[in-house]
This record gives sequence, C-alpha cells and structure tokens, in this order.
Amino acid sequence: MTKNLRVKTGKAIDETYRISFKFNGSTYYGFKGDTLASALLANDIHLVGRSFKYHRPRGIMTAGSEEPNAIVQLHDNSSRTEPNVRATEVEIYEGLEASSQNCWPSVNFDVGGINNFLSPLLPAGFYYKTFMWPASFWEKYEYFIRKSAGLGKSPTKPDPDIYEHKYIHCDVLVIGAGISGIMAAKIAAKNNLKTLLVDEKPNLGGSTIYQNSDHFKINNQNSGSWVEKEINEIKKLENLEIKTRTTVVAYHGYNFLLARQNLTDHLPIEQRKNKTRHRLLKIRAKKVITATGSIERPMIFDNNDRPGILLSSAIKKYADYFGIACGEKNILFTNNDSAYETAISLIEKGINIEAIIDNREEINSKLIYEVEKNNIKIFKGYTIIDTSGYKRINKISIMQLSKDGQKVVGSKINLSCDCLGISGGWTPAVHLFTQSGGKLRFREEDQVFIPNTYPSDQLSIGACNGNLTLDEILRTTPESLIKFLNVKSSDYDNLEVLSEANKFKRNIWLLPSNKVLGKTKSFVDYQNDATSKDIKLALREGFRSIEHVKRYTTTGMGTDQGKLGNMHALGIISETTGTKMGELGTTTFRPPYTPLTFGTIVGRNVGEYFDVIRKTPLHDWHIDNNAEFENVGQWKRAWYYPRNTEDMHQAVQRESKAARASAGILDASTLGKIDIQGTDASEFLNRVYTNAWSKLAIGKCKYGLMLNEDGMVYDDGVTTRLGENHYIMTTTTGGAANVMSKLEDYLQTEWPELDVYLTSVTDHYATISVCGSNSKKIISKIITDVDFSDESFPHMSFKNVKIGKISCRIMRISFTGELSYEINVQANYGKSVWEKCMEAGKEFNITPYGTETMHLLRAEKGFIIVGQDTDATMTPIDLQMDWIVSKKKYDFIGKRSLYRSDTIREDRKQLVGLLTDNPDEVLEEGAQIVGDIKKSPIEMLGHVTSSYFSPNLRKSIALGVVKGGKNMMGQKLTIPMEKKNINVTVSDPVFLDKENKKLNA
Amino acid sequence: MFIINCPFCGEREQSEFKAGGEAHIIRPKQPTELSDDQWAEYLFMRKNIKGIQFERWNHAHGCRKWFNLVRDTSNDEIKAVYKMGEKPPIK
Amino acid sequence: MLSYNQALKGKKIFQDLQMEEIKPIMKLIIRGKKREFISAVGKSLNILLPTESNTSTQSDKLTALWLSPDEWMLFSNETVREDSNHYEIKELLSNKISIKNLGAITDVTDQFVMIELKGNKIYELFQTGSPFNFNDFQNKKGAVTQTILNKIDIIVHNLDKNVANLFVRRSFSQHLFSWMNDAASRL
Repeated sequence: MTKNLRVKTGKAIDETYRISFKFNGSTYYGFKGDTLASALLANDIHLVGRSFKYHRPRGIMTAGSEEPNAIVQLHDNSSRTEPNVRATEVEIYEGLEASSQNCWPSVNFDVGGINNFLSPLLPAGFYYKTFMWPASFWEKYEYFIRKSAGLGKSPTKPDPDIYEHKYIHCDVLVIGAGISGIMAAKIAAKNNLKTLLVDEKPNLGGSTIYQNSDHFKINNQNSGSWVEKEINEIKKLENLEIKTRTTVVAYHGYNFLLARQNLTDHLPIEQRKNKTRHRLLKIRAKKVITATGSIERPMIFDNNDRPGILLSSAIKKYADYFGIACGEKNILFTNNDSAYETAISLIEKGINIEAIIDNREEINSKLIYEVEKNNIKIFKGYTIIDTSGYKRINKISIMQLSKDGQKVVGSKINLSCDCLGISGGWTPAVHLFTQSGGKLRFREEDQVFIPNTYPSDQLSIGACNGNLTLDEILRTTPESLIKFLNVKSSDYDNLEVLSEANKFKRNIWLLPSNKVLGKTKSFVDYQNDATSKDIKLALREGFRSIEHVKRYTTTGMGTDQGKLGNMHALGIISETTGTKMGELGTTTFRPPYTPLTFGTIVGRNVGEYFDVIRKTPLHDWHIDNNAEFENVGQWKRAWYYPRNTEDMHQAVQRESKAARASAGILDASTLGKIDIQGTDASEFLNRVYTNAWSKLAIGKCKYGLMLNEDGMVYDDGVTTRLGENHYIMTTTTGGAANVMSKLEDYLQTEWPELDVYLTSVTDHYATISVCGSNSKKIISKIITDVDFSDESFPHMSFKNVKIGKISCRIMRISFTGELSYEINVQANYGKSVWEKCMEAGKEFNITPYGTETMHLLRAEKGFIIVGQDTDATMTPIDLQMDWIVSKKKYDFIGKRSLYRSDTIREDRKQLVGLLTDNPDEVLEEGAQIVGDIKKSPIEMLGHVTSSYFSPNLRKSIALGVVKGGKNMMGQKLTIPMEKKNINVTVSDPVFLDKENKKLNA
Repeated sequence: MFIINCPFCGEREQSEFKAGGEAHIIRPKQPTELSDDQWAEYLFMRKNIKGIQFERWNHAHGCRKWFNLVRDTSNDEIKAVYKMGEKPPIK
Repeated sequence: MLSYNQALKGKKIFQDLQMEEIKPIMKLIIRGKKREFISAVGKSLNILLPTESNTSTQSDKLTALWLSPDEWMLFSNETVREDSNHYEIKELLSNKISIKNLGAITDVTDQFVMIELKGNKIYELFQTGSPFNFNDFQNKKGAVTQTILNKIDIIVHNLDKNVANLFVRRSFSQHLFSWMNDAASRL
C-alpha cells in the first residue's frame, strides 16, 4: 500500500484532472502538471532505478534535467520505446508506461546487485586491467561486457513519429526563462529587436516562480508574484516569440544554436496523430543571452546515494510547485543558506523536519532565525559521515567537523529519517557558454567557475554568470543588458530588492569521515558509480590530466554528463594534487546538453526524403514499362527492363543482343550538359581538354578527355560545335556538377581574361539515344525532311531538326560502337519523342535498354567509364589513350603532370582487356589480379574494373588495370577467388569491331 | 557553421558555400619550363597553419562566384572577404 | 505533333498556402560583363536589368532576376504556347547580343520549373528546410535569392505580399515538390 504524500495544491498541479499511468507494471495516479518524478514521489516511491556498475538502488535526486539517477525506459516493447529518459522531465499523460532500467528481474530484486558486494574487486579501470590478457580471449570477454554495458534498451522497430527541422533567424535569443531571462526578453523585445525566448520547462519563471517567502521581495511583492506579473506582460509583446519545452542542446560558433522543441511528448498518445513530435530548431541569433541558471551541488560523503536523498532545492520544488512531501521525517544537510529556504517552505506546508545539519559553525542569517523559531534542531559545524537503509534511507550518522574541516571529532550521533535533502551550494550552468568557445575563470571566494571571455556576441546573465542571489541578479542584470543590447533604459532600473540569505558557504569537496577512504562509498558521479576513492586511485596510478582521470574513472561520462558531480571531481583532484582549480580547468562541455533522439537529429530526412532524388523527363515511362532503377549519384536511372520472369542477367543479355542486332533505345538525359559561349570558347576548350579544338568545324562533334592538374583523368564526353563561338559540352552523369564548378573556377580565377560564359542546361534537355543497325531507318521515319546519308550526316556531326513544330538537335555519336543517333529535345517534349521512337521502331523490335546494357555494350567496344575503369590515379597514357593527348598544344590542364617522374613510370597500372580461359566464366569486378600464384608473398598486379558476359561475342570479357599491363599482351595471369583460381589472358581492351565498321553500317 | 559575407550576395550560411583551399596560389604561366620539384611545389604544397589563413571560397549554391577570405583558424573568425584579383585587405 | 509533359501535375491547396507549376514560361539565362551588354538588352527588350544584388526588375512582358554580377534570368510574365518552342525574345537577343559577341543567351525554359506559391505561410514552409534568412526578404517586393531548400538549389522571387515564385531544376522538381507538400501539410 503506497501513501499519498500530496500535502497541498501545488502551483503547477491541476487537481481536478487526474491521470493514471503505469510504473514497473503497477498503476498509479497523478495530476495534470505532474512530472513522472513528482507523481511517483506523491505515491511515496523513491526507488526508481539501479546504478550502472554496482546496481545500487537509486532514487529520484533532482527536479530537473540534471537528474542522474531517475532515468527510465518509456513504453517498453513498442515502437515508441525510449531509454534513458529523465523521470524529472517527463510530464505524465494518460497511458504513460515507464519502467526502471539496469535491473533484472526487477528494481526491487536485482541480480546485478551482487556487484555492490563485489565492489572492492571493481575499482576504477577494472575493465582495462582485467581483460587485457590473454589477448586472444578478448572476443570471449567482449560478449559478456557488451551484455552488461549500456543503460536501457533501444527500440527495434521503426520510429512511427514525425520529426522536423526549422531554421530560425532572430536578433536576440534568450536561453532560459527564469527571472533573468524574462527581464532580458522584455528589454530586447520592447526595443524593437526580434526576440526568441526558450525554456526547457513547460512553464516560464524558473525557480523564482514558486518563491513566496517574505525574505525575498521585489518592489515589496514576493518575488514569485513579481515574476508572474512580468510573464503576463511579456506574453503580450509583439516582437517576442516564446517557446517552452524547448532545450538548447548545442551552442556553436557564429551564434548558431540547436534546440529541441518538444511538441507532443506531454500529450496522450491518441492526441499525437499526424503531429510533429520534436522539432530541431536551427537558430541563428545576432545576439545570444544565456540565462541558464545554476544547478545545486550535492555533497560527497559515505553512502550519499541512497533512495530518499535529494537535492535540497528539489525537495523545495516538489513541495512548492507540486504540493508534495518527499518524506515524513526530513533532514536537511547544507553548507549554505539555501537549505533554510527549503526548510521555510516545508514548515509553511506543515511538512515535518527532523533536523538540519549545517557544516558551518557560526552563521548569522534571518533565514536561520526563522527556522530556529520553529523549534527545529540545527547541528552547526557537523557533517554526515554515513547513511543507512538499502532501498530507502532510514538513518544518518553525524559527527562534528574539526576547525579546518579536514577530519571529524567527538562522538557519532545517529538520526533517523526517510528523506535527506543536501545542498552543497550552486554551480553556474555554464555548459552552453563553454560549448560556444567561451573561457571560464574560477572565483575562489565561493569556488565556482564563471564566464570570463566571450567568443561571439553573447552575454551570460543571472545565476549562470555567477550571480547566485536575488539581489545580485537584480542589481547587475538590467545594467549589463542595457549595455549589451545598446538600449537607453529598462523597466528594471530602479527596483527595490529584499534578499535576506547569507552568502557564506563552507565548501568542502570531499567531506571527512571516521573511516579510511578505502572503506567508504562516497559517490561523485551517481550515474556511472564513480566514487571519490576511484578518483584518488586514478591519481595514485599516475593520471594527471582531468580529461584522463575522467575517462579512466568514467566520471561525467553518463547520459547526464556529470551535471551534478563534475565540480566535486575537479575539487578532489585539485586538493589531492595541490593544483589550483583555476589552473586545473574543467573537462570539455560537449553538445548535446541533454540527449536528443535520433529522430530529432534526422528530422524529415527519412524514407523517401532520406536523400535527394533526381528524375529524368522519361522517368514515368520507365516506371510504366517495368524498369528496375539504379542510383547514379542522386539520379534514378533505368537499369534494365525485365520481361515476364526474366532476371537481371537474362534481361541484359536480351537487351544487349537486340541493340546490336536491330535497334535499342536509351534514356541518356542524365548526362551533364554545359552551354559554352564566347569569343574565346575554342581557346577555353583547348585549355581544358587534352586534345585540340580550334579546327573543329561548325556542326561537328568531338570526344574529349579532361584531366586534373595532377594529370589524372577527371571526366570525359562529347562536345559539339554549334556555332563559331558556341559549343555544347556533355559530361558524365556523376561528374556534371563538379566539372561545371571546376570550369567556372578556372574561368574566374586563372583565366579571367577569357570571354567565355558557361550555363548548365542538363535539365533543359531530354536525351534519347537510338542505336543499332536499324536506327537510321527509325529516326528517318520521325524526321522526314532531313538527309540522313553518310555524306550529309556523317558520324560525329549534328543537325538542327524539327519534330512537328518543336526544334531539337540530333547528334550522330555512339557510345556502343553501333550506328546511333542522340536526340536532344526540350525536356517537356521528351516523353513524346521517346514514344514516337518506340512507335516507329516497333517493326524493328526496338528494345529499350538500361544502364547495365549500356555498360556491357561499351565494354565490348573497350570504351572506358570514368570512375569505373579509372580512379584518381589513371592518366590517359595509363588508359592506352595516348592518341587523345595533343603533343602540339603548349599547355592544357594536367599536361605538365604527364611527364613527372612518377607518371612516366613503365610499371604504372595500365588498362588492359582480360579474357578468361573458360569463356563462360565471368570475373567479379574488383577482383585482384596476381602474377605467379606460387610466389610468396603474392605480388598484387591490379584489379578487374569491368566484367560482363558478352552475348554478341558469346564469351566473358573484362577490363582491368594491371601493373605494366601495356607490355603484357598475351600473357597469362591469375585471379585468385575464394574457392578457385581463375586463369586469364591479357588482351586488347577493344573486343568488338576494332575497325569501326559498325559505326557506318 | 560560419556566416560568410559573400562579396556579391551578402551574408549567407556556410552550407551555401564550398571551400576551395589556400588562396593566392597562381598557376604557373609556363608549366613546361618547370622542374618536377617546382611543379610539385605548385601542385601539392599547401599551408595549414594555426592563425591567419587566406582561403578560396565559392558561393556554390548562390551566385557561383569564387572569392577569397581571411580566416583565423584558431577561432574561425573571418577577418575579411575580398574579390578574386583584389589584394588581401590584411597582411 | 509532340505532346507536352509538365513536371508537376496539379495544384496543391493547404490552409493558407497553395502551390502549382506555372507552364510554359519562357526562361533565358543571359550573361554579359560589358556595359554595352546591359544597354543592348535594355534597348532590345525595354527592360532595365537589375544591377543591385538580390533584386529584380519587370516590364509588361518580362521579369529579370539578378543571379550574379554577370548573370540574369529573364522569364515571360505570361505563359507561352505549348506546341512551339520558338521564342521571339530569344531570337531577338541572339541577334542583338550573341551575334555581336556582347554576351551569352541560353534557353533554359525546361531547365527550370517555376512553382508559384500563394498564401501567408510561404516563408514558414521555407523555414523548415532553408538556411536563408527570409526575415527582411519577405517584406521586400521584388527581392530575389538563390539558396537551398531541402538540400536542393532554388531561386526564390518575392513577387508580392503572399505570392512568390520558386525556380528549381526540373530533375529535382518532383522530389522537392513532394517534400514541400509534406512539409506544408503540417504547417
């Protein structure tokens, strides 16, 4: 039977709206406004999880995103399951199901708890030390380590939710809507600046919103009411956009920030349909104001991790905000005045306080007087030395601190309790500031790191800037905002502030104990079970850099990134090594501030939007005709067109035969096309291609090879001279954008004197290639008024023609070695022209073929494909294409590199043909080619680049690159495969029609 | 991600640009007259320093113009942008 | 006769946003650096080419978008015939510009698809996939920008309050339009 610990209606709670939810299979109730943590606490449940290494029972510790312990799995065994969710951030909704992590069979009885008793055997670096030898055993160890590693379970089904991205540009971004952030947003927006205010919580007002103490007043109102009034005002401001449930997770250079806006996680599941779950905001802000507040520090003493131990500020928030008593016998342990604010809140709600342990001896504060007035026992100058209670704290032991705070004296006093609030002072939340590149400085007086130098136009204000009390915030913030935003005045220039806390803190990083350190478990990192003992061990073993100590002990490496304990780890290192904190520095704060789901990072780049898809104007025809598609860069290209039950091989063999025997038709629209105009166009081509262009007659086409400056083949294609100063260049499909960019680069930077203009026209044209011995007959059926004779229309020439009223261009060029014509027509008429070709070709069995057949046909002819038969290490000479390199031209891109000592080596890899001894054996592309198989080590000579079974030659053919291959004609080589060695003979790369008879068939 | 002030289009996000390596490396006018070492110097050798660096950038998804910029690689601050052919405004 | 196949079929209507392809619109890329080029274009077409970056100019028949210091897109304000691809304006410019070696004229009618967007959520849609800052742009009639939307190059022309033209290369257009429809469905 669980208890109801709801003592009073909290500020955030709507008690008329009851919500049921499940935790570890049992049903509980909470109210609208509750977090999972507050609802569990209201049901007197503290134990929510097990720690990572020792499987120690752990409870809810905080009331915010810094929570290290209360991390749960949501919606287990469903596609929406999510691990490592902080119970302190989950707003409950009808149907919520949560369960504990890292425990089996249950959080109450966890087999892994044995690790707690084995802990003397599991020191820092245990895994490194133990699983080192024998090395061959690692695979066996790994299996067990992997099984016990990691928290929670990842989903196994696709995420059904929708995630989006959004770019936001604003003048001012304010991060955090506590009292400082609210003031900043108001000043910015009222001064005509487009302002965005974000906060991770569902409500505005930070921790001030629930302050109703008479000790903290602004203009004679308690600070909570004052902030509430301000919130109502800013909500009306036109220039201000407010986003709640929005966490800034990363702060990059140039004020570029990423924030996760949580849109539906608080809604019942059935209300989430068709709604975006999370939105990743990509924010560019001219100015950024960080007002991220501060995080309360725990205290480091033996067994400081039991369920029922919370931050003192969390106990206050649960009482003020949610109306919950975290326990019935509360004790507070503090080194500063904050715990007394908690005490006053509890007293006001009638929640019992057993005692307050304060490690300070002499303290003067109005807050303390008020607590004392209520007859609460305060142990001044004491510290906790131990706690007990396995699944819930039930007792603490305290002793008096020595004057120097280094040891404990006197006798032990035991106090019973069911809840302990600890307060070690406050740590400014400088995470985002440092992510942005900001440098910190250490303030000795209260032992905090605060912002020092800003790398961009930004300002930290309020608690995250080290202004940890209300009067400091109100005294300094308006003034610094006026300066930062460059405005005249603010509404806050003459505030009256009452703030009665005493600022004195007695900071002791590691509290002394009556036991030796080795016998204690004082946790520094709760999630990763790193203790002060581990840190000292790492230092003894010689680790000095904090980054190394962090990794060795795993301090700060959990999903919470050590938001609570990192400062203590630094403190202990600093004290042990005698290094000043300021010199020690901090570990790097890395994004994300709190974890993001993969869905949020990916956004809509899933499924059909995973990558950009380009389609040709003939795409629909291919789909209607059963084409299989191949991805070529972003293009979807028709790969082959299977008929009936044909597989790919069968379809390609049929297509290849038909294309040569009669007629084939190919969609070549993806080829890059660049329109080149200008009086220096010919000179330009001379410089970018290896061959000479000046003498190309108008109306003629020419194949060109383009090199990089290092002499390696970059791209190839046919360029046509349309006019005196007008060419159209084609590039490879994959190279189009890069070629365009490279050519523009040379024009703009190296040769600005050339009068040349480049315009991409790739998408303007549909390119339809009709090839085969009957291609001329088919084309002349469509275009009747053109002389297709070889005299009038020879190979490598073009004509402007009309189909109906539509002007288009026909090139007689061939990539297959067959007679072929390439029609270039404006894209929107492409499908119609294709259909006309199909109709005209019907009597000739015109066969549409895809990229696979195209590759096979050109391989028969020994034509290279740049990027398949070449990589960035092949010169034209390596390709046996010496004929295309002009000897006469003084210069062209890459020319000088062709006679570097390395490029003229005889034993470079060179392109050759390969014929298998068994003509039916088809080689695998990428297979290695070796010489003498018996030689050890085997000499690797090269690899197969293209390989097909040629239906026209009725044998297997392949192209490959082989060291010194040019001079190996007729030589036998071996291709060792997994199961056998294949013998091949080096041959000429041109397998079919070397005399080019077919081009003029 | 930087904000780059394209000398032609104004301030744009880095994703609209492509980086083009070190600036002010001039293609030799008479490559044939260079030794292998001299040509290799032009072809391969690039600076990679911590501090002020002169770089070529292309507004690839905008006006497609190439330009130069001066960047402090230690903190990514862009000190100046200038057009091709212009002298660097900073030494 | 050849039939005409536009890239994007149908008008898509959402709350506060409509989008459809407008076709056929004649489009030319014109390029030139010389002063004579700009004046020759001006005289031939009675339109002043915009020389200020990210702006456009308009005549009765034509709109000119600034794309770079030596590059403009010229497009017809009205649709042209589907059954012909002979454009008089191109012919005229070829004679006045190309033949005289003042610059380059290239037909890009089918290179780009023009999508007209109407409604008050145009820029909200763009924000879901473009890094460009549209804050000032959306209030500047005639403003032009080349940028990225969902990783695809686009040209946006602010025609008037709540009306914009978007130009995208034809091969990307179906993918982009599908993505825009998906994004618009949740605005």
